[in-house]
Amino acid sequence: MKWNSQDIQLFIKEREYIDTAVVPLYPVSFREDMKQSVSMTEFIQLLSGQLEKQFKGRLLMLPGISYLKTLSEDKLTSDLKEWEDELISQGFKHIFYITSDSDWKTVEDKLTGGLIWMPSIPLENMDDQYKNSILDDQVKQLLNLFVRKWQNND
Amino acid sequence: MSKNRVSRRQFLNYTLTGVGGFMAAGMLMPMVRFAVDPVLQSKGESDFIPTPQKVDEITEEPTRVDYKFEQVDAWYTSEETGTAWVYKDEKGEIVALSPVCKHLGCVVDWNTDKSNPEHFYCPCHGGLYTKDGKNVPGTPPIAALDVFPIKEVDGYLYLGKAEPR
Ligand code: FES
Repeated sequence: MKWNSQDIQLFIKEREYIDTAVVPLYPVSFREDMKQSVSMTEFIQLLSGQLEKQFKGRLLMLPGISYLKTLSEDKLTSDLKEWEDELISQGFKHIFYITSDSDWKTVEDKLTGGLIWMPSIPLENMDDQYKNSILDDQVKQLLNLFVRKWQNND
Repeated sequence: MSKNRVSRRQFLNYTLTGVGGFMAAGMLMPMVRFAVDPVLQSKGESDFIPTPQKVDEITEEPTRVDYKFEQVDAWYTSEETGTAWVYKDEKGEIVALSPVCKHLGCVVDWNTDKSNPEHFYCPCHGGLYTKDGKNVPGTPPIAALDVFPIKEVDGYLYLGKAEPR
Protein backbone atom coordinates (compact mmCIF):
# COMPACT_ATOMS: atom_id res chain seq x y z
CA MET A 1 0.00 0.00 0.00
CA LYS A 2 1.23 3.42 -0.83
CA TRP A 3 0.86 6.43 1.38
CA ASN A 4 -2.03 7.92 -0.57
CA SER A 5 -5.72 8.33 0.11
CA GLN A 6 -6.87 5.57 -2.16
CA ASP A 7 -4.53 2.92 -0.78
CA ILE A 8 -5.01 3.97 2.81
CA GLN A 9 -8.73 3.45 2.51
CA LEU A 10 -8.05 -0.13 1.51
CA PHE A 11 -5.47 -0.43 4.25
CA ILE A 12 -7.96 0.58 6.91
CA LYS A 13 -10.46 -1.93 5.62
CA GLU A 14 -8.05 -4.85 5.25
CA ARG A 15 -5.68 -4.01 8.03
CA GLU A 16 -5.32 -7.53 9.36
CA TYR A 17 -3.59 -8.58 6.14
CA ILE A 18 -1.07 -5.76 6.04
CA ASP A 19 1.36 -6.67 8.77
CA THR A 20 4.54 -5.13 7.42
CA ALA A 21 5.70 -1.52 7.50
CA VAL A 22 8.58 -0.31 5.36
CA VAL A 23 10.35 2.93 6.21
CA PRO A 24 12.78 4.37 3.65
CA LEU A 25 15.57 6.40 5.24
CA TYR A 26 16.85 9.34 3.21
CA PRO A 27 20.03 11.18 4.21
CA VAL A 28 20.13 14.90 3.42
CA SER A 29 23.35 16.85 3.29
CA PHE A 30 24.34 20.22 1.88
CA ARG A 31 28.05 19.71 2.35
CA GLU A 32 30.67 17.90 0.32
CA ASP A 33 28.57 14.69 0.35
CA MET A 34 25.48 16.48 -0.99
CA LYS A 35 25.56 14.73 -4.36
CA GLN A 36 25.95 11.40 -2.71
CA SER A 37 23.01 11.98 -0.40
CA VAL A 38 20.90 12.87 -3.42
CA SER A 39 21.79 9.75 -5.34
CA MET A 40 21.11 7.62 -2.27
CA THR A 41 17.68 9.16 -1.98
CA GLU A 42 16.95 8.67 -5.66
CA PHE A 43 18.04 5.09 -5.59
CA ILE A 44 16.03 4.14 -2.53
CA GLN A 45 12.97 5.91 -3.92
CA LEU A 46 13.18 3.79 -7.06
CA LEU A 47 13.67 0.59 -5.13
CA SER A 48 10.92 1.23 -2.64
CA GLY A 49 8.54 2.04 -5.49
CA GLN A 50 9.21 -1.35 -7.05
CA LEU A 51 9.00 -3.11 -3.74
CA GLU A 52 5.61 -1.57 -3.03
CA LYS A 53 4.34 -2.65 -6.42
CA GLN A 54 5.32 -6.26 -5.88
CA PHE A 55 4.01 -6.57 -2.32
CA LYS A 56 1.21 -4.07 -2.34
CA GLY A 57 -1.16 -6.32 -0.45
CA ARG A 58 1.03 -7.02 2.52
CA LEU A 59 3.13 -3.97 3.22
CA LEU A 60 2.59 -0.34 3.92
CA MET A 61 5.24 1.86 2.32
CA LEU A 62 5.69 4.87 4.58
CA PRO A 63 6.53 8.26 3.10
CA GLY A 64 10.09 7.87 4.35
CA ILE A 65 12.20 9.76 6.82
CA SER A 66 14.58 12.46 5.68
CA TYR A 67 17.22 13.34 8.21
CA LEU A 68 20.14 15.70 8.35
CA LYS A 69 23.48 14.03 7.89
CA THR A 70 24.91 16.41 10.50
CA LEU A 71 22.82 15.00 13.33
CA SER A 72 24.46 12.73 15.83
CA GLU A 73 24.05 9.01 15.68
CA ASP A 74 22.39 8.94 19.08
CA LYS A 75 19.80 11.50 18.11
CA LEU A 76 19.00 9.69 14.86
CA THR A 77 18.70 6.34 16.57
CA SER A 78 16.44 7.61 19.32
CA ASP A 79 14.20 9.34 16.77
CA LEU A 80 13.91 6.19 14.78
CA LYS A 81 13.11 4.23 17.92
CA GLU A 82 10.11 6.43 18.43
CA TRP A 83 8.80 5.53 15.01
CA GLU A 84 9.46 1.92 15.78
CA ASP A 85 7.59 1.98 19.09
CA GLU A 86 4.59 3.59 17.44
CA LEU A 87 4.57 1.09 14.58
CA ILE A 88 4.82 -1.85 16.96
CA SER A 89 2.08 -0.51 19.19
CA GLN A 90 -0.09 -0.13 16.11
CA GLY A 91 0.21 -3.80 15.44
CA PHE A 92 2.79 -4.10 12.68
CA LYS A 93 4.48 -7.48 12.97
CA HIS A 94 7.35 -6.70 10.63
CA ILE A 95 9.21 -3.45 10.30
CA PHE A 96 11.88 -2.82 7.70
CA TYR A 97 14.11 0.16 7.12
CA ILE A 98 15.54 0.52 3.69
CA THR A 99 18.47 2.82 3.04
CA SER A 100 21.72 3.37 1.16
CA ASP A 101 23.32 5.21 4.05
CA SER A 102 25.81 2.78 5.55
CA ASP A 103 25.99 4.68 8.84
CA TRP A 104 22.84 2.90 9.92
CA LYS A 105 24.68 -0.39 9.92
CA THR A 106 26.55 0.52 13.07
CA VAL A 107 23.34 0.95 15.03
CA GLU A 108 21.54 -1.97 13.46
CA ASP A 109 21.36 -4.08 16.60
CA LYS A 110 19.75 -1.30 18.61
CA LEU A 111 16.73 -1.52 16.32
CA THR A 112 13.89 -4.00 16.50
CA GLY A 113 13.06 -3.68 12.83
CA GLY A 114 15.24 -5.16 10.11
CA LEU A 115 17.72 -2.90 8.40
CA ILE A 116 18.08 -3.40 4.69
CA TRP A 117 21.11 -1.67 3.36
CA MET A 118 21.39 -1.42 -0.42
CA PRO A 119 24.55 0.23 -1.72
CA SER A 120 23.46 3.00 -4.01
CA ILE A 121 24.36 2.64 -7.65
CA PRO A 122 25.19 5.79 -9.66
CA LEU A 123 22.22 5.48 -11.99
CA GLU A 124 22.55 8.88 -13.59
CA ASN A 125 25.24 7.79 -16.03
CA MET A 126 23.53 4.67 -17.27
CA ASP A 127 21.33 4.11 -20.25
CA ASP A 128 17.80 3.09 -19.48
CA GLN A 129 18.02 -0.53 -20.40
CA TYR A 130 21.08 -1.19 -18.32
CA LYS A 131 19.61 0.76 -15.47
CA ASN A 132 16.45 -1.33 -15.55
CA SER A 133 18.29 -4.62 -15.57
CA ILE A 134 20.39 -3.56 -12.60
CA LEU A 135 17.35 -2.38 -10.70
CA ASP A 136 15.50 -5.60 -11.54
CA ASP A 137 18.32 -7.55 -10.03
CA GLN A 138 18.37 -5.54 -6.85
CA VAL A 139 14.60 -5.75 -6.50
CA LYS A 140 14.73 -9.51 -6.88
CA GLN A 141 17.20 -9.79 -4.01
CA LEU A 142 15.02 -7.55 -1.94
CA LEU A 143 11.90 -9.60 -2.64
CA ASN A 144 13.61 -12.79 -1.57
CA LEU A 145 14.62 -11.20 1.65
CA PHE A 146 11.05 -10.25 2.47
CA VAL A 147 9.62 -13.62 1.55
CA ARG A 148 12.20 -15.36 3.71
CA LYS A 149 11.43 -13.15 6.70
CA TRP A 150 7.75 -13.73 6.33
CA GLN A 151 8.18 -17.47 6.03
CA ASN A 152 10.34 -17.64 9.12
CA ASN A 153 7.79 -15.83 11.20
CA ASP A 154 4.49 -17.18 9.93
CA MET B 1 -13.43 37.00 -77.33
CA SER B 2 -13.26 40.34 -75.56
CA LYS B 3 -16.32 39.36 -73.49
CA ASN B 4 -14.48 36.51 -71.80
CA ARG B 5 -11.53 38.57 -70.83
CA VAL B 6 -10.99 38.89 -67.13
CA SER B 7 -10.98 42.49 -66.07
CA ARG B 8 -8.35 43.81 -63.69
CA ARG B 9 -10.97 44.11 -60.96
CA GLN B 10 -12.16 40.54 -61.40
CA PHE B 11 -8.63 39.24 -61.45
CA LEU B 12 -7.82 40.92 -58.16
CA ASN B 13 -11.05 39.65 -56.66
CA TYR B 14 -10.35 36.07 -57.58
CA THR B 15 -6.81 36.11 -56.36
CA LEU B 16 -7.62 37.76 -53.07
CA THR B 17 -10.47 35.36 -52.35
CA GLY B 18 -8.18 32.51 -53.22
CA VAL B 19 -5.39 33.66 -50.97
CA GLY B 20 -7.79 34.60 -48.20
CA GLY B 21 -9.43 31.19 -48.34
CA PHE B 22 -6.09 29.56 -48.17
CA MET B 23 -5.14 31.57 -45.13
CA ALA B 24 -8.43 30.82 -43.44
CA ALA B 25 -7.95 27.13 -44.07
CA GLY B 26 -4.47 27.35 -42.64
CA MET B 27 -5.86 28.73 -39.45
CA LEU B 28 -8.91 26.54 -39.19
CA MET B 29 -7.38 23.20 -39.97
CA PRO B 30 -5.23 22.94 -36.85
CA MET B 31 -8.21 24.00 -34.79
CA VAL B 32 -10.42 21.32 -36.28
CA ARG B 33 -7.63 18.82 -35.86
CA PHE B 34 -7.24 19.86 -32.28
CA ALA B 35 -10.89 19.21 -31.62
CA VAL B 36 -11.14 15.95 -33.53
CA ASP B 37 -7.81 14.28 -32.86
CA PRO B 38 -8.44 13.16 -29.28
CA VAL B 39 -11.62 11.48 -30.47
CA LEU B 40 -9.71 9.63 -33.15
CA GLN B 41 -6.94 8.64 -30.80
CA SER B 42 -9.01 7.18 -28.03
CA LYS B 43 -9.99 4.15 -30.06
CA GLY B 44 -8.26 1.72 -32.34
CA GLU B 45 -4.60 0.74 -32.33
CA SER B 46 -3.43 2.92 -29.52
CA ASP B 47 -5.23 0.81 -26.91
CA PHE B 48 -2.95 -2.11 -27.65
CA ILE B 49 0.57 -1.93 -26.28
CA PRO B 50 3.40 -3.71 -28.07
CA THR B 51 5.50 -6.24 -26.15
CA PRO B 52 8.92 -7.64 -27.07
CA GLN B 53 7.42 -11.16 -27.12
CA LYS B 54 7.37 -12.99 -30.48
CA VAL B 55 4.09 -14.83 -30.87
CA ASP B 56 5.62 -18.00 -32.35
CA GLU B 57 7.95 -18.32 -29.38
CA ILE B 58 5.15 -18.61 -26.86
CA THR B 59 5.06 -22.07 -25.27
CA GLU B 60 2.68 -23.91 -22.98
CA GLU B 61 4.72 -22.81 -19.97
CA PRO B 62 3.58 -19.46 -18.58
CA THR B 63 6.35 -16.89 -19.10
CA ARG B 64 6.74 -13.36 -17.88
CA VAL B 65 6.39 -10.71 -20.54
CA ASP B 66 7.37 -7.18 -19.57
CA TYR B 67 6.21 -4.22 -21.59
CA LYS B 68 6.56 -0.47 -21.31
CA PHE B 69 3.80 2.06 -21.46
CA GLU B 70 3.17 5.63 -20.56
CA GLN B 71 1.05 6.36 -17.58
CA VAL B 72 -0.61 9.68 -17.06
CA ASP B 73 -1.18 10.44 -13.43
CA ALA B 74 -3.04 13.74 -13.30
CA TRP B 75 -0.52 16.08 -14.95
CA TYR B 76 2.42 13.81 -14.52
CA THR B 77 3.38 11.31 -17.20
CA SER B 78 5.78 8.54 -16.43
CA GLU B 79 7.06 5.43 -18.11
CA GLU B 80 5.84 2.35 -16.37
CA THR B 81 6.63 -1.30 -16.81
CA GLY B 82 3.77 -3.74 -16.95
CA THR B 83 3.89 -7.51 -16.79
CA ALA B 84 1.78 -10.35 -18.11
CA TRP B 85 1.93 -14.12 -17.77
CA VAL B 86 1.69 -15.54 -21.27
CA TYR B 87 1.27 -19.11 -22.56
CA LYS B 88 -0.56 -21.28 -25.07
CA ASP B 89 -3.45 -23.34 -23.76
CA GLU B 90 -4.31 -26.92 -24.88
CA LYS B 91 -6.20 -25.56 -27.84
CA GLY B 92 -3.12 -23.63 -28.92
CA GLU B 93 -4.71 -20.32 -28.08
CA ILE B 94 -2.66 -17.61 -26.46
CA VAL B 95 -3.60 -16.64 -22.92
CA ALA B 96 -2.25 -13.49 -21.26
CA LEU B 97 -3.01 -13.08 -17.57
CA SER B 98 -2.52 -10.09 -15.34
CA PRO B 99 -0.06 -10.83 -12.52
CA VAL B 100 -1.95 -8.68 -10.04
CA CYS B 101 -3.43 -10.75 -7.23
CA LYS B 102 -7.17 -10.28 -6.88
CA HIS B 103 -6.92 -10.27 -3.12
CA LEU B 104 -4.98 -7.12 -2.28
CA GLY B 105 -2.83 -6.58 -5.31
CA CYS B 106 0.55 -8.26 -4.87
CA VAL B 107 2.30 -9.70 -7.91
CA VAL B 108 1.82 -13.43 -8.40
CA ASP B 109 4.50 -15.81 -9.60
CA TRP B 110 4.24 -19.05 -11.58
CA ASN B 111 5.22 -22.31 -10.00
CA THR B 112 7.09 -20.91 -7.02
CA ASP B 113 5.21 -22.66 -4.24
CA LYS B 114 6.75 -26.09 -3.72
CA SER B 115 3.64 -27.63 -2.20
CA ASN B 116 1.48 -26.40 -5.11
CA PRO B 117 3.39 -26.86 -8.36
CA GLU B 118 1.89 -25.64 -11.64
CA HIS B 119 -0.05 -22.89 -9.95
CA PHE B 120 0.18 -19.13 -9.79
CA TYR B 121 1.21 -18.28 -6.27
CA CYS B 122 0.90 -15.04 -4.35
CA PRO B 123 3.66 -14.66 -1.76
CA CYS B 124 1.67 -12.19 0.32
CA HIS B 125 -1.06 -14.34 1.84
CA GLY B 126 -0.65 -17.60 -0.03
CA GLY B 127 -3.21 -16.94 -2.74
CA LEU B 128 -3.35 -19.67 -5.39
CA TYR B 129 -4.65 -19.75 -8.95
CA THR B 130 -4.73 -22.61 -11.43
CA LYS B 131 -2.95 -22.24 -14.77
CA ASP B 132 -6.05 -20.80 -16.42
CA GLY B 133 -6.08 -18.08 -13.77
CA LYS B 134 -9.01 -19.35 -11.67
CA ASN B 135 -8.62 -18.71 -7.98
CA VAL B 136 -8.36 -21.78 -5.78
CA PRO B 137 -11.15 -21.73 -3.18
CA GLY B 138 -9.94 -21.64 0.39
CA THR B 139 -7.15 -19.16 -0.42
CA PRO B 140 -7.74 -15.42 0.07
CA PRO B 141 -8.41 -14.29 -3.52
CA ILE B 142 -12.09 -14.16 -4.40
CA ALA B 143 -11.83 -13.81 -8.17
CA ALA B 144 -9.85 -15.10 -11.13
CA LEU B 145 -6.87 -13.18 -12.48
CA ASP B 146 -7.71 -10.51 -15.05
CA VAL B 147 -7.18 -11.32 -18.71
CA PHE B 148 -5.52 -9.18 -21.34
CA PRO B 149 -7.15 -9.01 -24.76
CA ILE B 150 -4.40 -9.89 -27.22
CA LYS B 151 -3.47 -9.14 -30.79
CA GLU B 152 -0.67 -10.17 -33.11
CA VAL B 153 1.05 -7.44 -35.10
CA ASP B 154 3.98 -8.36 -37.37
CA GLY B 155 4.67 -11.47 -35.34
CA TYR B 156 4.74 -9.68 -32.00
CA LEU B 157 2.30 -9.88 -29.14
CA TYR B 158 0.22 -6.80 -28.35
CA LEU B 159 -1.76 -6.46 -25.15
CA GLY B 160 -4.95 -4.53 -24.51
CA LYS B 161 -6.23 -3.41 -21.17
CA ALA B 162 -6.64 -6.26 -18.67
CA GLU B 163 -10.26 -7.06 -17.92
CA PRO B 164 -11.88 -8.88 -15.03
CA ARG B 165 -13.76 -12.04 -15.92
S1 FES C 1 -2.55 -10.18 -1.98
FE1 FES C 1 -2.40 -12.11 -2.95
S2 FES C 1 -3.13 -13.42 -1.40
FE2 FES C 1 -3.33 -11.48 -0.48
